[in-house]
Amino acid sequence: MYRKRFIVFMMLIVFVLIVSGCNRSKDSDAKKGNDREVVVGLVSEPDSVDIHRTSSTGEANIPLYDTLLKLDNDGNIVPNLITDYEVIGDGKEVIFNLKEDAVFHSGKPVNAEAVKLSFERLVSSSPFSTNAGDIDSIEVLSDYSFKITWKNQFAPFFINATTPFLAPLDVSVLNGEGEGFEKEPSGSGPLKLVKINRGDSLVYEPYKDFNWEGQKPGFDSVKFRFIPDEETRILEFKKGNVDVLLNVPYQYIEDLEKDSEVTIKRVQSDTLSYLGWNNKQPIFQDVKVRQALALAIDRESIIDNTLNGEAQAVFGPLPKTVFGYSEKIETMARDKYTRDIEAAKKLLAEAGWNETNKDGVVMKDGKEFSVELWVDDDPANQRAAQVIQNQLMEIGVKINIAVKESATIIEQTPKGVHEMLLWSYGWPDADVLNFLLFGKDKSKRLHYENEKIYSILDKAAIEMDQEARSKLYEEAQEMLVEESPFIPLYVKENVTAIRNFESFEIHPINNTIEWTSVKVKE
Amino acid sequence: MSSYLFKRIFTMIITIFGVSVLVFMIIHLIPGNPVNHILGDYATEESIKELEMRLGLDRPILVQYFSYMFQAIQGDLGTSYITGYTVVEEILNRIPITAQLALYSIIFGSITGIIIGVVAAVKKNTIYDQLAMVLALIGISAPGFWIALFLILLFSYQLSIFPISGYSGFYSLILPSITLGLGTAGSIARMTRSSMLDVIKQDYIRTAKAKGAGSYRLIFRHSLQNAIIPVVTLIGMQFGYLMAGAVVTETVFALPGLGSLIVSAISTRDIPTVQGLLLFMAAMIIIVNFVVDLLYTKLDPRIQYE
Repeated sequence: MYRKRFIVFMMLIVFVLIVSGCNRSKDSDAKKGNDREVVVGLVSEPDSVDIHRTSSTGEANIPLYDTLLKLDNDGNIVPNLITDYEVIGDGKEVIFNLKEDAVFHSGKPVNAEAVKLSFERLVSSSPFSTNAGDIDSIEVLSDYSFKITWKNQFAPFFINATTPFLAPLDVSVLNGEGEGFEKEPSGSGPLKLVKINRGDSLVYEPYKDFNWEGQKPGFDSVKFRFIPDEETRILEFKKGNVDVLLNVPYQYIEDLEKDSEVTIKRVQSDTLSYLGWNNKQPIFQDVKVRQALALAIDRESIIDNTLNGEAQAVFGPLPKTVFGYSEKIETMARDKYTRDIEAAKKLLAEAGWNETNKDGVVMKDGKEFSVELWVDDDPANQRAAQVIQNQLMEIGVKINIAVKESATIIEQTPKGVHEMLLWSYGWPDADVLNFLLFGKDKSKRLHYENEKIYSILDKAAIEMDQEARSKLYEEAQEMLVEESPFIPLYVKENVTAIRNFESFEIHPINNTIEWTSVKVKE
Repeated sequence: MSSYLFKRIFTMIITIFGVSVLVFMIIHLIPGNPVNHILGDYATEESIKELEMRLGLDRPILVQYFSYMFQAIQGDLGTSYITGYTVVEEILNRIPITAQLALYSIIFGSITGIIIGVVAAVKKNTIYDQLAMVLALIGISAPGFWIALFLILLFSYQLSIFPISGYSGFYSLILPSITLGLGTAGSIARMTRSSMLDVIKQDYIRTAKAKGAGSYRLIFRHSLQNAIIPVVTLIGMQFGYLMAGAVVTETVFALPGLGSLIVSAISTRDIPTVQGLLLFMAAMIIIVNFVVDLLYTKLDPRIQYE
């Protein structure tokens, strides 16, 4: 009797497996039935697709939105939803004209009233509202024309308007409490959201009313799959289940390059990694110490040893893709801070760090030069921290590495409890020097104080003439190079692996997929 | 029985209350807060204060706790600071996957573990016994991510039998369930072996053997049924480990379950989601153990709760 029961049980298991096997074949055929589907493999899901709520933008939520202005491939600001604008008087008022054929995914027009409502929501609820400036009022002048009045001039507005943070969204889809956008979002970008599978994927289709530059979209749908594990992501790509692999881990690039069907795309990121420190700490008060640290760093060695050479060394405060970058400053910083151990030791000695203990650590007044370096849990950053530790030890500076969660670093560094940190920033405008790095009461991680630099950065933020603004940033950067309150290190290459495309482009400045260029191989 | 039930339910409520206090304290003690995450690098002091006020984080901690618990009792676990979804919505979205994963892992772990344990006990001190115990040890000690990658490479990448990652029904949960169930199988095998060895020594087994009971009947009817009680306790306790193991398994297999949700919620300091999830998981573990305790009376009629 028991044997009979056992046999029946085993048969049941086999039956369940067979039925599941049938289901599985349906799933695996799903992609074959939709040949022009593009599957993009991503590390993580965006917090939200609501651009006024999320603090993280990426490929999975950016294509929902079309920006007011945009950057061309050389980094110039060109019209997009805004066709032209007129700066009035001293620059506190600007009149914007919108193009008349743009439509939200809900079918409603992107007109002046819609943009006004979107701005009002941005100002009241977005973590990035400061990027719109201190807006006093927005006035609708006609169906497709509106005027923004700021309390103070706000020159970075135009470049900020090229980012999705200021892109208009369709406020009419919100519920009575002003919520619900994340479930049925409506922007005016190239991709329209079809399905949200929380934690798994977001499915889009090309938006028919978007300006596809006279052509038909080269794909039928896009699925962004969230695959947090590095190895799993690579295997999915190698197996052909993922067509676009973003942020390819550096150790796999060589292997993927050997595959003739795979194309590797490299675009320089706009995020600058830097070695910073709390400038309020007594140990970093002397400019000679700061310059000595900068002279001890060999960027190429860090890039080769930790990033497989997939990065560009940066010596000046701004990377090339950022408005305000100056070739003159970069050359000047490179000349001044190309690695020179002897010069670094000399500077340290001049600053009073001239004794050495038995471990080779320099000392002053009986205290050794030993500091803690905070680094997040990214393995590449941890390897970089180790290389930096070795390089600084060569001039007798002892580094103790402390790995911390990003959330902890973000919360603790503004309190000034840290000594040194390996961190990064990414923003397309030089105003980042003001609002994040060195502005008055805004130097959150570096705690650097310099009245002269405050004044130049404040002036630059309200200077409406872009050439004059550039000059002001050049002046500030020249001082920053001399003062060395942090050490710019490198910008990484964003590496994307693709397969089965006739054409596929990534914007060279803002690093996003150009969906108008994407054409799947038939 | 009813007084026992009443006592148990009362202690369950007290335990859940204790868990809630502990979770609330830990969440507020670890460095990093959601406001910094939401506002990012570009926040001003005013915007930080304003958001803290909007989220109610400026209130005294006790007020925050009691207001949270008051809502939780009514079934409202709050709304995620980060995603805008309610925590209940998030749990309901993801619980089917984690529940299936836990169930299949328990089934796989129990069947495999009991079979290995019985073989080891019956073939005591033979090569089969040693082999079974080595397998059990591997199951317990091999790290989940390593087993997961090994299974993916072999069965998904090389042999193309199962999907590599993602959720597409029962088939996609087979490898994750094996990954997660191996540890359980190892523990159950060891427990089954020692429990079976105890039972096999009993007089009634000798009597049954003397009366001519077949070996199949002897093992499964007389020995295993009596040896199973401690194994069932262990299965109940394994549920907690499975919840913890699901965090790694769901990450490697890219499964949108509760485990992967809690990882992202912790990294963004999404307090309502972390609190709600931990409370929910704790409640599940407590309830499963309660059900297991009740099962004893069915398995062994000699056990009676007074």
